[in-house]
Amino acid sequence: MNMKKRLFAILTATSIAAMMTGCGSSNNNSYGSSAEGGSDLGLITVVSREDGSGTRGAFIELMGIEQEDADGNKEDMTTVEAMITNKTDVMLSTIAGDPAAIGYVSLGSLSDQVKALEIDGAEATAENVKNGTYKVARPFNIATKGEPTGVAKDFINYILSAEGQEVVSEDYISVSDDAETFETDGSSGKVVVGGSSSVYPLMEKLAEGYEAINGAAEIEVQSSDSTAGMSGAADGTFDIGMASRALKEDEAAQLNGIAIANDGIAVIVNNENAITGLTSEQVQKIYTGEITDWSEIAE
Amino acid sequence: MKEKIMHGVFALAALTSIFAVVLICVFLFASGVPAMQEVGFLKFLGGTGWKPTASNPEFGIFPMIIGSIYVTAGAIIIGVPIGVLTAVFMAFYCPKKIYRPLKSATELLAGIPSVVYGFFGLVVIVPFLRDLFRDYGCKGQSILAASILLGLMILPTIIGVSESALRAVPQSYYEGATALGATHEEAIFRTVLPAAKSGVLAGVILGIGRAIGETMAVIMVVGNQPRVPGSIFDGVRTLTGNIVMDMAYAEGLHREVLIATGVVLFVFILIINISFSILKRRDPNAG
Repeated sequence: MNMKKRLFAILTATSIAAMMTGCGSSNNNSYGSSAEGGSDLGLITVVSREDGSGTRGAFIELMGIEQEDADGNKEDMTTVEAMITNKTDVMLSTIAGDPAAIGYVSLGSLSDQVKALEIDGAEATAENVKNGTYKVARPFNIATKGEPTGVAKDFINYILSAEGQEVVSEDYISVSDDAETFETDGSSGKVVVGGSSSVYPLMEKLAEGYEAINGAAEIEVQSSDSTAGMSGAADGTFDIGMASRALKEDEAAQLNGIAIANDGIAVIVNNENAITGLTSEQVQKIYTGEITDWSEIAE
Repeated sequence: MKEKIMHGVFALAALTSIFAVVLICVFLFASGVPAMQEVGFLKFLGGTGWKPTASNPEFGIFPMIIGSIYVTAGAIIIGVPIGVLTAVFMAFYCPKKIYRPLKSATELLAGIPSVVYGFFGLVVIVPFLRDLFRDYGCKGQSILAASILLGLMILPTIIGVSESALRAVPQSYYEGATALGATHEEAIFRTVLPAAKSGVLAGVILGIGRAIGETMAVIMVVGNQPRVPGSIFDGVRTLTGNIVMDMAYAEGLHREVLIATGVVLFVFILIINISFSILKRRDPNAG
């Protein structure tokens, strides 16, 4: 056998060995030694959305992950160990693929791939959001710069009409139960709607419903995140911006915000996870990094 | 007359790419450097906190620089031995029947879109690593996952360049070595491969360039935590990933800092390209 080959084989073997031992020391999970009533899934994989996400903004606020610092400024205390995904669907597939993961998505985007947890004993359903027992809920807003005109105005009228709110209530919670029926003013043209990836699926359906009534109009829906939606509406990139959270002060100063729906945020785990519910305090501790192992959660 | 017009057309075509490069440079440095100054060079390059939207924002990209370096180094450790040995096999050992399919397979590997690599990594490599290294606290989405994925992605570059470098070594080197009593293996590994050294290195450098610039595939498997990782089983955020994660909603200084992150990446690529051309100049056979 050739010297170099042998040398290479030895090098590879030692470097692999070094990696394993080197990192073994940082191993502090308690897999295999599950605590009473806890889970043996080991370290919790905390998954979060990116900073500009409206779902994240609403989630950290509702769960008390946003805390005031010494100067009274609100700070996002989400642990730096949290994995960051920048889309609702990536969040879903990450949770679906990792037994030890926890994450959060819009209630309307929930699928069978993952399991939604009860929070403080309330199941995450549209009904419970509406009657107020499920507390983790936020409004979906749209915003325009100045008064909307033409197709944009007509489309917003449709969203707030009985027909539009019926589309909303399929997966979300409508903002009004006694809206008037919609009559198009027949405007024609193209309107670009953009922003929150949580509002996106709803907006797609609304656009479809509206285009069926007013054939002369074209609605283009783009998905990024809430902050991008608001800044896009302010600088004219979008005719209508979408946000899955309340408008911030500086945004509200330049834009007209309208609530079009209410939505819960579901805290989700992998289907293999035996846990069925958490308290909001536990969720807060998981997201601030105080609880790092499933075994610490005693039911 | 006709000739002159065509001359002009060719010159214009050539100028387009130069113009594009100059424009990108100007854009990057004009908006990136002031942002660096505003944050402070040391705080920007050496800061370990990345909290762009906090009320006291921190813009330290040190974790991302480390992340990019770790992930790229991992890709090199995994990709280079496989790539170089594949090139040796293809140049000296491969039966003609296998050569054709092998060659087209490596070329096909280069043509797969990176988002497909990313999805493959997310669905295959990540769960595999999670199960395998669960006891070490590995959550699947980790430096190791990204390194393996990038190691695969840089294979075509390394194989292609190394193989042509090996083939460019004059036949007489091999013949001389065997005439002196060397075996086939000795002749290849001690004579031909060292002679093609700078060509192979050039391939490795191109691979590094590809690995450090890769974005889509990496953000899907690397976890994107903006902090200095403790082990290869931890997730990390790369420079490219940082730009993609935040670009959509960044405003004001945050946006400019992201462009500054692009400047850092650009400097990395510049260093890589310069070392590539130095190597190329030293050895006319390379590339």
